[in-house]
Amino acid sequence: MELKIIDHATCTFCGCVCDDIQLHSDGQRIHKAEKACVLGKAWFLNHSAEKHYPDALIDGEPAKLADAISLAAELLHAADMPLVYGMSNTTCEAQKQCVAMADHLGGLLDSHTSL
Amino acid sequence: MYWGGNPAECHPRHFTKYALMPKSKFLPNGRKDRTVVLVDIRETKSVKAADLFLQVRPGKDFELLTILRALLKGHDVGDREIAQTGLDRAVLEDLLSRMKASKFGAIFFGMGLSMTRGKHMNSAALLTLAAELNSFTKFVAMPMRGHGNVTGADVIMRWQTGYPFGISFNRGYPRYNPGEFSTVDVLVRGDTDCAFIIGADPGATMPRPAIEHLARIPTIVLDPHVTHTSRIAKVHITTAPAGIAAPGTAYRMDEIPLPLSPAIDSPYPTDEQVIKQIRAHLEQKPNWLPDSQQTLASQV
Amino acid sequence: MLRIYGGKVFDPANGINGQVKDICIQDGRIVDTTQAATEIDARGLIVFPGGVDVHTHVAGGAINFARAMTPEDHRRTQAFIRSQTRRSGLGGMAPTTFATGYLYAGMGFTTVNEAAVPVLSARHTHEELNDVPIVDKSCLVLMANNEIVMNLMEAGDYERAKHVVAWYLNAAKGYGIKAVNPGGVAAWKWGKDSKELSSPIAGFNSLTPGMIVQQLARIVDDLGLPHPLHLHCNNLGAPGNIATTLDTMKHLEGNRVHMAHSQYHAYGGDGWDTMRSEAAQFAEYFNAHPSMTTDTGAVLFGDTVTITADGPWQHLLYKLTGRKWGNLDVENETGCGIVPYTYKPSNLVNAVQWAVGLELLLLINDPWRVFLTTDHPNGACFWRYPEIIQLLMCADFRNACMAKLPAKIKSRIYLPEITREYSLYEIAIIMSAGPARALGHRQKGNLAVGKDADLVIYREDHDISRMFAQPRYVIKAGEIVIDDGDIRSTPEGREFMVQPEFDPTTEDFLRPLFEDCYTMSFENYPVELDRIENPTIQDCSRVQ
Repeated sequence: MELKIIDHATCTFCGCVCDDIQLHSDGQRIHKAEKACVLGKAWFLNHSAEKHYPDALIDGEPAKLADAISLAAELLHAADMPLVYGMSNTTCEAQKQCVAMADHLGGLLDSHTSL
Repeated sequence: MYWGGNPAECHPRHFTKYALMPKSKFLPNGRKDRTVVLVDIRETKSVKAADLFLQVRPGKDFELLTILRALLKGHDVGDREIAQTGLDRAVLEDLLSRMKASKFGAIFFGMGLSMTRGKHMNSAALLTLAAELNSFTKFVAMPMRGHGNVTGADVIMRWQTGYPFGISFNRGYPRYNPGEFSTVDVLVRGDTDCAFIIGADPGATMPRPAIEHLARIPTIVLDPHVTHTSRIAKVHITTAPAGIAAPGTAYRMDEIPLPLSPAIDSPYPTDEQVIKQIRAHLEQKPNWLPDSQQTLASQV
Repeated sequence: MLRIYGGKVFDPANGINGQVKDICIQDGRIVDTTQAATEIDARGLIVFPGGVDVHTHVAGGAINFARAMTPEDHRRTQAFIRSQTRRSGLGGMAPTTFATGYLYAGMGFTTVNEAAVPVLSARHTHEELNDVPIVDKSCLVLMANNEIVMNLMEAGDYERAKHVVAWYLNAAKGYGIKAVNPGGVAAWKWGKDSKELSSPIAGFNSLTPGMIVQQLARIVDDLGLPHPLHLHCNNLGAPGNIATTLDTMKHLEGNRVHMAHSQYHAYGGDGWDTMRSEAAQFAEYFNAHPSMTTDTGAVLFGDTVTITADGPWQHLLYKLTGRKWGNLDVENETGCGIVPYTYKPSNLVNAVQWAVGLELLLLINDPWRVFLTTDHPNGACFWRYPEIIQLLMCADFRNACMAKLPAKIKSRIYLPEITREYSLYEIAIIMSAGPARALGHRQKGNLAVGKDADLVIYREDHDISRMFAQPRYVIKAGEIVIDDGDIRSTPEGREFMVQPEFDPTTEDFLRPLFEDCYTMSFENYPVELDRIENPTIQDCSRVQ
């Protein structure tokens, strides 16, 4: 099978954020992560495009994405003191959305740094 | 110099790609041209990489740093004070003379320093030591940040709110008070009535009373996996993993942003897409704050 | 579609000095006539082109480090409360990005130039600039301590150096070239500085700061960049540094150059005890050399935070003050230091600095070549510009301020003998038309038909500081953004950049060097154009 090769890929597992990784992917799974360290290899090879989990869960039961999104908005809006927390294993683009949402909600905003 | 960190196991390429091995104009022999010091409470796998290992007694980092600062300034320090760090005077004097004789020193400190007894006091003492060494030679210090893009979160919160973490917007503008607005404290006190958790699994890492509060309130989780936190949450949404299936940017620990090149097609939306949709719903709802006129006049 | 009628217009680019004139706006530009949907009655009001800041530090790794270092200031400063359409923010010494846009627009400034960006963190800087609303932006790329460029200059390979600089400028999506303490920041990696224009730089055999400034100035002209070399001289802040500054200007005779924050470079004396103003010497040389422009980097008394790529100077400032110090070394490119600072009128050195900033503005006789800045946040925060305007326009007020300084100051400064007062027309030059021209922004600082409809409308007021701090209206790209202190809307600004041509073999030359001495992949280094909101590419045309 022909694997797609992605050069200069960036690993986000640890704070080194090495950006010289060569990934060999079939679109569903990464088969090889050259130059990555042992932690990076495990990080790249353990993800796949298979659907291991439902799109969403509500009270632990599989739910539609749209329902989960509208319920999330409802809960956040109804709260007096909502908290937005985490933001480590995600992109800067998502982090900006988090800050904007906490600002809009008048809530609390915090990251792993405070631990 | 590494203090309170174990890069060999936690940041495996820090030695090879960044700090110890690279050859350069002024260090043509790479590792051979460098002196490597490790300070830690136990002999980790990183010790192998070091020329000098100082095993500090647990909980005595602050004392050791303070003694080094005093010796650097030529103050008298008693043998008893030195002995309580688990090290002796000759070792410290050797270390200081090597530091002063170096052309360019760098101290990387890990959670073994910043998350143990003394916490931010330890970090402050180490940063001060590095600053004061500049009276003798060039010295710098920086933290070895852990989780992938935690640096990005710090950097973005700073430019958008002025503060790096521990923020409250409940007066309509950002305020900062670690201890009051930091998550563990907020959860243990039971101060929040809804939690939105992204790119983290506090259900696996936080103290029990904090987790219990997360289970009590409606918690919303965005994560590529169903995590410990997802299991106690009201809502879990599965998202594409950053850098593997989701494009975007991540910050390296030295605050340099790097583009991500996703390699697989995820059946799930990205975090960014999901939060955008939640925000679109929120914008349809009545505003919490009354719209007041913002006056600029008080600035001057 | 907007018509502003009955206002007294100050539009120096077109020689208009207070004439009553209607201004019509359509699609963000100034037009002849329009079927106006909205009209502003500007009778009794004063109309200026929107302010242009030629030198400020509002985005990037350094100011963001300063934000982290000064939470105590955020706590006491003005808070911007979020609305349904507007993000919250904080003002103060190092304002947040959103607040930066609100504050600049709030005092009638519509274009700002971020003056110091390392290529390595250009991606970060643009992310921040994207979050500065309302105003148009550009940024200058740091080049005078870049090891690859310096090696080429030392080897005498001017042509290659020129192409590499052009490549870097494209990669960073920058607007121009900045030189900070040429060679001195590289020397700081050895804990050293570089103070003499003709002495070799630490780590090099023959390369001198003089060679760097001359070659960079020539490169900027050969590439036809719209803005000249933007130069922060060696030996900033030090008593007696006028000798270095004059030497630098002599090295650059006949070249276009912008001398940044000249206040910090015009001191006499041989130590802190004897430091005095040499603004007259600076002005005398500068007045006779029309190819140069400058901004003052004026100082106002009060708290601020200093941030500069001048790493060795910041270490000295840390040792002088004992306050917090942040140091950033940027691989092979540059460095940076951050130290909070309080300018006190009782401190003789600070008092001299305060006087020098004003003296330069008053002794340089061509307002088209000297611009209003505080080197924000170094001399003072940008939102205090109205206080400087008042000091320039009112000699009585200036004298009253001088009376509060230590008596010893009199023999060290020129200010007591200066009676010049700026007119509104001259203020419009130094805050808008002049810096727009120096930056090569033909669409800015100009109210002629076809130009960008960025303008500000003031109430005439005997309290000059209040007049300029609280405009009646601010209009950006034809839209009313500030209405009597109320932030009406927060449109995205544009970002200006240049894309000078370079030899196609430049990448092949750079790649191996880059892989040798940088920590990131060559392919990930350039900032992609689509990362930037509303990019606007300015033409380069060879300067004769």
